[in-house]
Amino acid sequence: MTVLPERADVDPLPERADVILDAHGHVGDWPDFLIPDPSAEGLVATMDRIGVSAMGISHLLAVGPDAVRGNRLAAEIAERFPGRFGVWQVYNPHRRTPLTTESVWGVKLHPDVHQCRLDDPLYEPVWELGRPVLAHAQTDSPWSDPAQFAAVAARRPAVPLLMGHTGLWAYGFARAARLAADHPSLYLETCGSRMTGRWIARLVDMIGADRVVFGSDACFLDLRTGFGRIALAPLTDTDRTLVQGANLARLLALPQ
Amino acid sequence: MIDAHRLIGPVPFDDLPSDPGPEMDRLGIDQACATHTLSLYSDAQAGNEALLRLDDPRLIPVPVVVPGVTGASAPAELHEVLGWNVRMIRLCPERHRFDLTGPIALRWLAALGLSVAIDLEETSPAQLGTLMERLPEQRVLLLNPGYRRLRAVAELMAETRRLWLEIGTVNTQGGVEWLAHRFGADRLVFGTGAPIADDCGPRFLLDHLDLEPSAVDLIAAGSLSGLM
Repeated sequence: MTVLPERADVDPLPERADVILDAHGHVGDWPDFLIPDPSAEGLVATMDRIGVSAMGISHLLAVGPDAVRGNRLAAEIAERFPGRFGVWQVYNPHRRTPLTTESVWGVKLHPDVHQCRLDDPLYEPVWELGRPVLAHAQTDSPWSDPAQFAAVAARRPAVPLLMGHTGLWAYGFARAARLAADHPSLYLETCGSRMTGRWIARLVDMIGADRVVFGSDACFLDLRTGFGRIALAPLTDTDRTLVQGANLARLLALPQ
Repeated sequence: MIDAHRLIGPVPFDDLPSDPGPEMDRLGIDQACATHTLSLYSDAQAGNEALLRLDDPRLIPVPVVVPGVTGASAPAELHEVLGWNVRMIRLCPERHRFDLTGPIALRWLAALGLSVAIDLEETSPAQLGTLMERLPEQRVLLLNPGYRRLRAVAELMAETRRLWLEIGTVNTQGGVEWLAHRFGADRLVFGTGAPIADDCGPRFLLDHLDLEPSAVDLIAAGSLSGLM
């Protein structure tokens, strides 16, 4: 059974069966390294270049120290480029960031940056909101190990939960898929520097194409490299259509 | 199109295809610089022998050299490397625990005069800088530079024109164009690190770079020809 939320109050998507939706995007700078082009304009230009219809973004300022201001910046970007960006509003569990159901795709969590385990009660307002959640996942992290996603999904089965990076490290991908298999509200999201086209095909074999969702992590990572893993992965056309956008459109209840 | 960084053979931590041919065909990659996994995960010399036995025109052998005193090196004698008739060798100073800028490594590299491929995780920008200073003719292909150390790698590229960069892991938004505009596409080389690392993403990126076709051609094959 796939869990579907109420229809989202966001811009409609192009009416195409092969729509490409990027579940995991960012705008802004990050302190750890140089991002040559952290701008929304640069992302839109690349999206146009390779045919990505829309991207869900959180502002990296929001992931970092100022969720309220970063969320406002992300909303402004979404307004500036109608239909091209959905907003993942960042919830900082320590600051109890105000949440909304208006004009957002859902909530973005980063348990490692916020140093708060995904299964911590501080996140209760997020699960109560009922919108889809994209959370950073990192195998063996005390904050975001895939086992915590399975625990949360068991407790909150009505909330679609995207396991960011499928746990990040290649050695944990298969375990992440096994942990997610029995939780239909849990989706494996594909971005990360250790992901490969071959691993995406393996994940589809393990858990089903309807449970794997394309994400790029752009501008943190390059959108073209992230989507290329989907575009050139050894997948059937039907499975590729699901992974590259149809699954996300369905779980966000976006009009297709 | 040439993949400057490909591995053949088994790895201990995954079940990966040991023959790169079918995947190269599927992705339209004509040739690949190949290192045998035995040279990385087992015995360097055994891996080199297996690599050199392959005799596959699509694979450009990049054997692994371990400089060292008699009894600690691979191959046993420096002159054996010249007998391999290869255009590039690979060094793994971290994995094989030798000093990249020590006297033996410097003597071997000076005597060989071959291009050298080194994974950034096997060394440091500072060590590479020292190597380039000590060996003013040495050409280096930096494998797996990643994206998190872009500032340090760029500083190194600014200091020497004898450093080329594999782009497969230059994976932050617009990173390849940023490097191409600053240092020239003739310093950038298409490579993947497959099958351990991903080849689909870098291959797709190559087709969608926001660069002139002539620059893309250089990255796809021309720059590597210049290096080797």
